[in-house]
Amino acid sequence: MAAIGEEQSHKAHRSRQAGPKKKGKASKKKKGQNSEDNKNQSQNPKAFAFRSNVKAKRLQSRAVEKEQRKLHIPTIDRSTGDPAPYVVVVQGPPKVGKSLLIKCLVKHYTKHNLPDVRGPITVVSGKQRRVQFVECPNDINAMIDCAKFADLALLLVDGSYGFEMETFEFLNLMQAQGFPRIMGVLTHLDKFKDVKKLRKTKQRLKHRFWTETKEGTKLFYLSGLIHGKYHKREVHNLARFISVMKFPPLSFRGSHPYVLADRFEDITPPEKVQGDKKCDRNVIIYGYLRGCNLKKGTKVHIAGVGDYGLAGITSLADPCPLPSAAKKKGLRDKEKLFYAPMSGVGDLLYDKDAVYININDHFVQFSKGADENGGTASQGKSRDVGVELVKSLQNTKYSIDEKLEKSFINLFGRKLDNLEVDASVAEHQSCKDDEGVGSDEESGDDDMDDPGSSDDDVNVEGNGTMETQADDASDDEQEDLRGNFEEQLEFHNGRIRKKAIFGNEENEADEQVSDEDGGDDDGEDDNGEVDEETSGSDYSEDDETDEDMEDGGMGNAARWRESLLDRTVSRKNTNLMQLVYGTSTSKLAPDMSEQQRSSDDESEDDEFFRPKGEGSKPSQIADSWICTSTFLWKQKFTEGVDNGNVDIRDDETDEATEPKTERNKANEGSFFEKLKEEIELRKQMNLAELNDLDEATRIEIEGFRTGTYVRLEIHAVPYEMVEYFDPCHPILVGGISLGEDNVGYMQAKIKRHRWHKKVLKTRDPIIVSTGWRRYQTTPVYAIEDRNGRHRMLKYTPEHMHCLAMFWGPLSPPKTGIIAVQNLTNNQASFRITATGDILEFNHATKIVKKIKLVGHPCKIYKKTALIKGMFTSDLEIARFEGAQVQTTSKIRGQVKKAAKDVIGGEKSKKGAMSEEGIARCTFEDKILMSDLVFLRAWTQVDVPRFFTPLTTALQPRDRTWKGMKTVAELRRELNLPVPVNKDSVYKPIERKPRKFNPLVIPKSLQAELPFASKPKDIPKQRRKPLESKRAVVIEPHERRTLTLIQHLQRMRHDKEKKRKQKEQEKRKALEAQKAKEELISKKRQREERRDRYREQEKLKKKMRRTAGD
Amino acid sequence: MAKTNYMRLKGSQNLRLRLLLSTLSSTPIIIDDIRADDTWPGLRPHEISLLRLIERPLIVLGLFGKKPLSIRLKGITNDSKDPSVDTFRSTTLQILKRFGVPAEGLELKIESRGVPPKGGGEVILSVPIVRDSLTAVNWIDEGMVKRIRGVSFSTRVSVQFENTVIHSSRGIFNRLLPDVHIFTDHKAGVQAGNSPGYGVSLVAETTSGCYISADTVVSYARKEETADMEDDEKMDLKPPEDVGVEIASALLGEIEQGGVVDSTHQGLLFLLCAFCPQDVSKIRVGKLSPYGIETLRHIRDFLGVKFAIKPDPSTGTVILKCVGCGLKNLSRKVS
Repeated sequence: MAAIGEEQSHKAHRSRQAGPKKKGKASKKKKGQNSEDNKNQSQNPKAFAFRSNVKAKRLQSRAVEKEQRKLHIPTIDRSTGDPAPYVVVVQGPPKVGKSLLIKCLVKHYTKHNLPDVRGPITVVSGKQRRVQFVECPNDINAMIDCAKFADLALLLVDGSYGFEMETFEFLNLMQAQGFPRIMGVLTHLDKFKDVKKLRKTKQRLKHRFWTETKEGTKLFYLSGLIHGKYHKREVHNLARFISVMKFPPLSFRGSHPYVLADRFEDITPPEKVQGDKKCDRNVIIYGYLRGCNLKKGTKVHIAGVGDYGLAGITSLADPCPLPSAAKKKGLRDKEKLFYAPMSGVGDLLYDKDAVYININDHFVQFSKGADENGGTASQGKSRDVGVELVKSLQNTKYSIDEKLEKSFINLFGRKLDNLEVDASVAEHQSCKDDEGVGSDEESGDDDMDDPGSSDDDVNVEGNGTMETQADDASDDEQEDLRGNFEEQLEFHNGRIRKKAIFGNEENEADEQVSDEDGGDDDGEDDNGEVDEETSGSDYSEDDETDEDMEDGGMGNAARWRESLLDRTVSRKNTNLMQLVYGTSTSKLAPDMSEQQRSSDDESEDDEFFRPKGEGSKPSQIADSWICTSTFLWKQKFTEGVDNGNVDIRDDETDEATEPKTERNKANEGSFFEKLKEEIELRKQMNLAELNDLDEATRIEIEGFRTGTYVRLEIHAVPYEMVEYFDPCHPILVGGISLGEDNVGYMQAKIKRHRWHKKVLKTRDPIIVSTGWRRYQTTPVYAIEDRNGRHRMLKYTPEHMHCLAMFWGPLSPPKTGIIAVQNLTNNQASFRITATGDILEFNHATKIVKKIKLVGHPCKIYKKTALIKGMFTSDLEIARFEGAQVQTTSKIRGQVKKAAKDVIGGEKSKKGAMSEEGIARCTFEDKILMSDLVFLRAWTQVDVPRFFTPLTTALQPRDRTWKGMKTVAELRRELNLPVPVNKDSVYKPIERKPRKFNPLVIPKSLQAELPFASKPKDIPKQRRKPLESKRAVVIEPHERRTLTLIQHLQRMRHDKEKKRKQKEQEKRKALEAQKAKEELISKKRQREERRDRYREQEKLKKKMRRTAGD
Repeated sequence: MAKTNYMRLKGSQNLRLRLLLSTLSSTPIIIDDIRADDTWPGLRPHEISLLRLIERPLIVLGLFGKKPLSIRLKGITNDSKDPSVDTFRSTTLQILKRFGVPAEGLELKIESRGVPPKGGGEVILSVPIVRDSLTAVNWIDEGMVKRIRGVSFSTRVSVQFENTVIHSSRGIFNRLLPDVHIFTDHKAGVQAGNSPGYGVSLVAETTSGCYISADTVVSYARKEETADMEDDEKMDLKPPEDVGVEIASALLGEIEQGGVVDSTHQGLLFLLCAFCPQDVSKIRVGKLSPYGIETLRHIRDFLGVKFAIKPDPSTGTVILKCVGCGLKNLSRKVS
């Protein structure tokens, strides 16, 4: 590649000069012009009826096909209840008015002024709908993440400047995610003074936008500012459009749970942090659950941080609930809630190293002082003296109580755990508590409405400390509580809680483990009923605590287990006892004392050691069957002995009729309708089945439903995440489903983006975004040949799809993939290098590349030659035995074997050849010593096993992440030249005319040759012969004789021709005659034959008759 | 990436099940203390090679493979412990079909039979792959038994054994149901495997399409087991009449228990339910078998799927509900 630094020049588009395309365009234009005339002329409707049968058919089929193409396979929507707020991402280049738009929209919805846009802002926008606004920071990483959770994107464009690359990048990013809804918004239109120019620009931008998305995409115009805000009417219109928007289901998101954090807390014990500032932190992330249900034990990926297990999930009361369903129009003011803890309007305010609790009142902005060192200094420009005073007071208070506050935060985490025990009873309250309103009985969400809560932070902190005392005290009570709320505890249990329980009981559990292990070893597969301890208690803490609690007495037995127990008991009561003994023993009442359980176990054990193949003790059953009345059995069969046949017939008829009715149904609705119906049915069934269960079991079985407000506890997160936390950058927590946390090779179909200036080079690191993750990896590009071989490509094709094989955490097939090479924000060029999707994953790669082994003959026999330099060892030759080789003169051959013995023979002669790797090859002809011999083969290409997750959240946001460098970058940095292979340099080819030696035949051979083959020795003549010197001219006499002869010959030819023609005619007539005669004779012969046969038959009949008589 | 986290397990139980689940959920596992207290600790010879003959693991694993599986398995086809090949054919494959497994390509061909102790049987198992995922079932109607079918076989013994078995078992069924057919499958020569034995596999088909099976085999036991426990009743094989009566009663016992599958197939049923997409599956089984219970526990550990279990006292059965883990056939290549 000579021009690495330069741009690749592309062929310019050439518009059609002739042909239908050119004509089509021209005629279309014309049509538009004189459409009036056409209207007048074409009054005759018959003129447009189908005149051609074929054409009609074609049109019809086209219409049907179009209809079919619109259909999508219906997908099941498993979400139930209120949907989570829809995420509206506001994206655009810097200084385009993103924050202002969000502020205006929030103002429109809630009538509140938002001082600062940081983090997601949840707003109740209607009776059925909530919306969460997120501002997309101007950073490619954040843009990638935003595209992953956006339900709707508002693409802000500076109208006075035009489109910028960010907009198009974002469009492409979203395309890889299944294309959520988009709306364009043009701002800065007040900079146009000329109305005509404005109109033109609008038109131009709109059409440009349409070419990039699709015809008719909505593009809004925000014409200007009034008092630093957009026009009310325009914002209102935009809000209307947002609130009627429908969101299509996206497949990846629909199958993975995800949470967009709208609150983030560090709950590491402060002692630990003080001891080591860089210790791993425990964090809590709050947010609405989206996508699909989240089960306990799911692993999550925090975008820009890494994969973590969830240490705890809790559902909390919705901080921004939908209004209760009442019959009224619109929303009341009180229901116009909004929730934005990161922006500082909610209750919590985030700073770098602390979290401030802020009883917020927008009308009195005293508590703003809290984040003075934050970014809101620009807000209050002219301050009162009084305000100043209060602020200073506040400041001092904070500095004194800082430590206290920290401890509060920590306690608050613990407190939550405890409170969650009775979460089902008072979840709402607990939520209120953690917001720090404490004694206030009004819901914490409405707090922007109540000016009464302007009591300052001292009060709050006081509350906090009081809580802690209560906490400690209530620890004991908790034990009692557990008895009542055992089901909740099972899954709400916080981490700390469990640790407290351990202690001395652990030993007991261990003992029991060993005991039961010993007892069970014999019975391979069948171990006892409830001895869960044997099934490996080590791996999860949950289990251990479960067991502990069980051993400890009662109460906290796992619900699942409990039901098991229940069941065994009931089973014993009902069928088993009846069956075996015929009488029911009522001693097994379903109370679960320890003793009872053990006795259960024993009895179970007895039963479990029976041979497996035989259901239950057969002889007993047989006895019972003989003893007890047979009518019990007959219930299970279709008929008794007597009327058996009738019933069977009934069955069969039933079977026969059933499918028929189904078929009828199928015919009624189309296949599509049926599919839809089925899905609806399944959904209804799911709902019905799950609603049967009580809340606790339901959550255990299906996990937390989408739309719930969850609190995710994540442990051992690097401290940088907390340190460099920036509320402006959204935190995306995505669930990882089974098998997606594994690492392996993936094959993707990708295409270089047409706006990226260069083609991509194999093994150059690229940053890939698939699923929730972003990571840097080194792909190997390949293309599939006709025979299914994956051939390596050094560079991606310019305009074609190709395969990319790379190593990384697996993501399911069909997931979209985006590749980026450059993460810097200050570059003007288009940063997305390639797009595509995952095809499959594999644990091995099968990419090959061409290899050409070159050797030269060192000894030539007749058609056999010994080839040197092609292989380095005899082992290699053994690998290539039978391979095809070819010389430069296209003589084909085959590798036979290593030429050991021959060389050995020569060696004894010469004593020089001692090298390995000389192959004996045979050819179809004798080769020359000057020939080169090639062996063309394919060799496996290894894909580097390298990937690094992008940890952009673990570093200052303004710094660009640095990963592996490309070779070119390294060369540039180290100022190294591109290595040049001397042999690869093109040189002018010089071909000397080949000189052949004269053919010399030995004398002895010549003597034996026949005369014809003998080389004739013609002596050289000194002078040229006369014929070659002179021209020959015909004499007049000679000419006359020649013409005469010609004439005579001509006449003869003519005569001959005529004679032949006559002969042919004659022959034809003769043949016709012959055919006629033959026909007649055939006829006659047939007649004769018939007569003869008839005679014979008659004779035979007669004979038979006589014989019969 | 962080270090791999292994799930630690103990003991030798359910080795196959654990391997299966760890493969499908791609969870690395470490199993400790395998027969730690035994005379011979560690794995038994038959456990060392990963897949033994007729393993349910294989059939479930095959469903989520890259390409359809076709495999020739050799060894013991009929055993008194595990379900036999006939049961596998008649019942297990039927259960799979319920879960939306394509019927074509799902089959088991018996080339030859082998009974313990020496085996020598050979079968060809072919399993298709599922396109995307299984389908959830709502399978609580057990129906009534409408017909009983069965296959009896004998290897290296007289056909007379089979006939006697069939006769005696029919004797029991005929009082309940006329539609009883038990086929004989007498194998001789190479097809008969290496050791003598005979047995029968019965399937009861109900009106709602459930298959309930029971099977038995009479043959000499394998050596290591006889050494362990059965030295007193060594070489004491049952007469065919008793076998017939026993197996018939066993089937009746299974039917009596209720449920849509018999006790040996409970584990498989639970597994399949757990692998379903995130829809509710509802199934009814009879008394929970210990293997089934073990399976339920492992499913919870590996896949995080819990079942809601509710006894139905009126019929003495158990109704289980679960939401599948949404396992998809990810290894399949999209075209």
